[in-house]
Amino acid sequence: MKHAALSIDDLRDVVRRLPDNGLTPSREAALAHFHEHGLPTLRDEDWKYTDLSPVVNISNRWLTAGGPQLPHKSLRDTVDAITRSIDAHWLVIANGTVDDQFVNAITHRGIEVSRFSDAPAPFEMQRPLADLNAALLHDGLRLRITGSTDKPVGILVVDRAKSDAGVAQSCVDIQVEPGVSAEFIEYHVSDGDAEHYANSVLSMVVGERASVRHVRIQNRAIRHVQTSRTSVALGKDARLHMASYDLGGALIRNDLDIDLGKPGADVVFDGLYLAGDGQHIDNHTRVDHRVGPATSTQEYRGILNGNCRCVWNGKAIVHRGADGTDANQANHNLLLSEKAEIDAKPELEIYADDVKCSHGTTVGQLDETALFYLRSRGLDKRHATQVLTHAFAADIVLRSPVTAMTETITAIVEKRLAQLIEADFVSDVLS
Amino acid sequence: MLEIKDLKSRIGDTEILRGLSLSVNAGEVHAIMGPNGSGKSTLAQVIAGHESHEVTGGTVTFDGQNLLELEPEERAREGIFLGFQYPVEIPGVNNAYLLKAAVNAKRKHNGLGEVDAFEFLKLAREKMATLDMDPKFLNRGVNEGFSGGEKKRNEILQMAMLEPRLAILDETDSGLDIDALKAVAKGVNALRSPERAIILVTHYQRLLDYVQPDYVHVLSQGEIVRSGDKSLALELEEKGYDWVREAASA
Repeated sequence: MKHAALSIDDLRDVVRRLPDNGLTPSREAALAHFHEHGLPTLRDEDWKYTDLSPVVNISNRWLTAGGPQLPHKSLRDTVDAITRSIDAHWLVIANGTVDDQFVNAITHRGIEVSRFSDAPAPFEMQRPLADLNAALLHDGLRLRITGSTDKPVGILVVDRAKSDAGVAQSCVDIQVEPGVSAEFIEYHVSDGDAEHYANSVLSMVVGERASVRHVRIQNRAIRHVQTSRTSVALGKDARLHMASYDLGGALIRNDLDIDLGKPGADVVFDGLYLAGDGQHIDNHTRVDHRVGPATSTQEYRGILNGNCRCVWNGKAIVHRGADGTDANQANHNLLLSEKAEIDAKPELEIYADDVKCSHGTTVGQLDETALFYLRSRGLDKRHATQVLTHAFAADIVLRSPVTAMTETITAIVEKRLAQLIEADFVSDVLS
Repeated sequence: MLEIKDLKSRIGDTEILRGLSLSVNAGEVHAIMGPNGSGKSTLAQVIAGHESHEVTGGTVTFDGQNLLELEPEERAREGIFLGFQYPVEIPGVNNAYLLKAAVNAKRKHNGLGEVDAFEFLKLAREKMATLDMDPKFLNRGVNEGFSGGEKKRNEILQMAMLEPRLAILDETDSGLDIDALKAVAKGVNALRSPERAIILVTHYQRLLDYVQPDYVHVLSQGEIVRSGDKSLALELEEKGYDWVREAASA
């Protein structure tokens, strides 16, 4: 099955009308490369569970309308609410536009921030969605962390489509210099009733002996579609602790690629996805162990209710000669509804001899015995269900690498879980 | 207080209780004994409202109220407590959180406000001291990584905090060493009062050395085949359950 293609003529028109801020050559190169390969389809092994038709449909409607740039000033309230409640050095990309005010407000001497347009880089061949991102990009953010910072660096990607279909790109390049310890908050949020497609790219290089703690929250409006690619390369003896929380969105596809090309790297990455009626959340992770010794540990957990589908595909590749690799993968799912579907697939490819690898996947329902135990103590069914689903999510929430965010994450996870469970109790009453 | 008449139940196609009748009054301690598979635990679970048991006949009333109509949580709030034979481990749920939620659910049901956090902790620590429990258990996951004895003490702690009118302890004595058994017995005896009733479900009479029952019933194949005072337990210990079965069929 092949979905309808993106209208390439309209796309070309829209790309050519973008303001020339020095990114035109890379946009043209990306467009050409994109044109050659097109979007992935269900026939591609990495995309067999996720149909990009909604991306095509929304994009085509937006392209037909001339690819209007969405206003970013109207998002002020949402931006203020987040940047004022969470203490961080914030940078904001609103409806695809880098907000200069936030760029200019960064004065900490450990953080160097610039726009792609300040020093345009030549286009490098990428995967199709990243090509599309480069072709339609207004401007990107480049960050260099040269010294330890007093508080996390926050990257807020916020979108709103008011009445017509919207499309917005965000692209962030981060370089963490050797020996530096840094914390990042990456927050994707949106509102609005119209359909919207957000496409984001984030690349990070963690220097030798540097240590990064990174929290990523995706809390998009329920009709919004997002694809994202996050690529992290670690230097010698570098450390990365990352956690992703996916709460919203109609169709979400996250690709996380971690490249361990130098010895001594240590990576821990966790994920939590909460999906309700009509949601499709797909997490594809890939770790390339190119040399040893190095350690990667990932644990993703999902809570699914209603008619929804989630995908977890965790790939670890231990390349020839990467002896001393220790790679661990775990994926656990709690299905609260018979209509919920999870496609969980751990993949290990090992070409080295001296390695330690493990993987485990579980799919289960709420434990009836535990439910009865709590009810026999006087907690009603809803409360007991809430307590048990929270407990399932708790590990991933409490292990959050950026402690300044734990409270916020706890609150939004609680809120989303309550909504997921509430839907059941409402339908119980109606049926 | 508790009136069970001709109670019949099944799990799937298997009949478990086959016409059981029992009357328990306030202030009494009843021991229910019987061989494995006689229906002791089923009786405890049916009273508490476990959904895997289908009640196919008979009635159960608690202070005149039809108990079988109530959800498990409503029964708990009305003052029924079931101490589990195998207390459930719930990682990620704090023991103190559960205790407090349970106490507050009951208080709300009785038209009272939520318990004050300070008072709650003070009370919990007092009760834990009498059960020789380390206060650290409050901040651990519910029964998570607890030993068998610790789990049973935790059940008794919950009971002590909830002050039920009817406590049913399902094989609370099984797998306990002598110290834990004494601690559990102390907790149970502390709860004895003219307003409360206690049902001890047990396989052995060992616990009954520490908690003296007023009545002893012997269950076999889903029915009470013999009732008596505490001397019945000693007689059972001496003669074994075959003796009851033979006597019942004679």
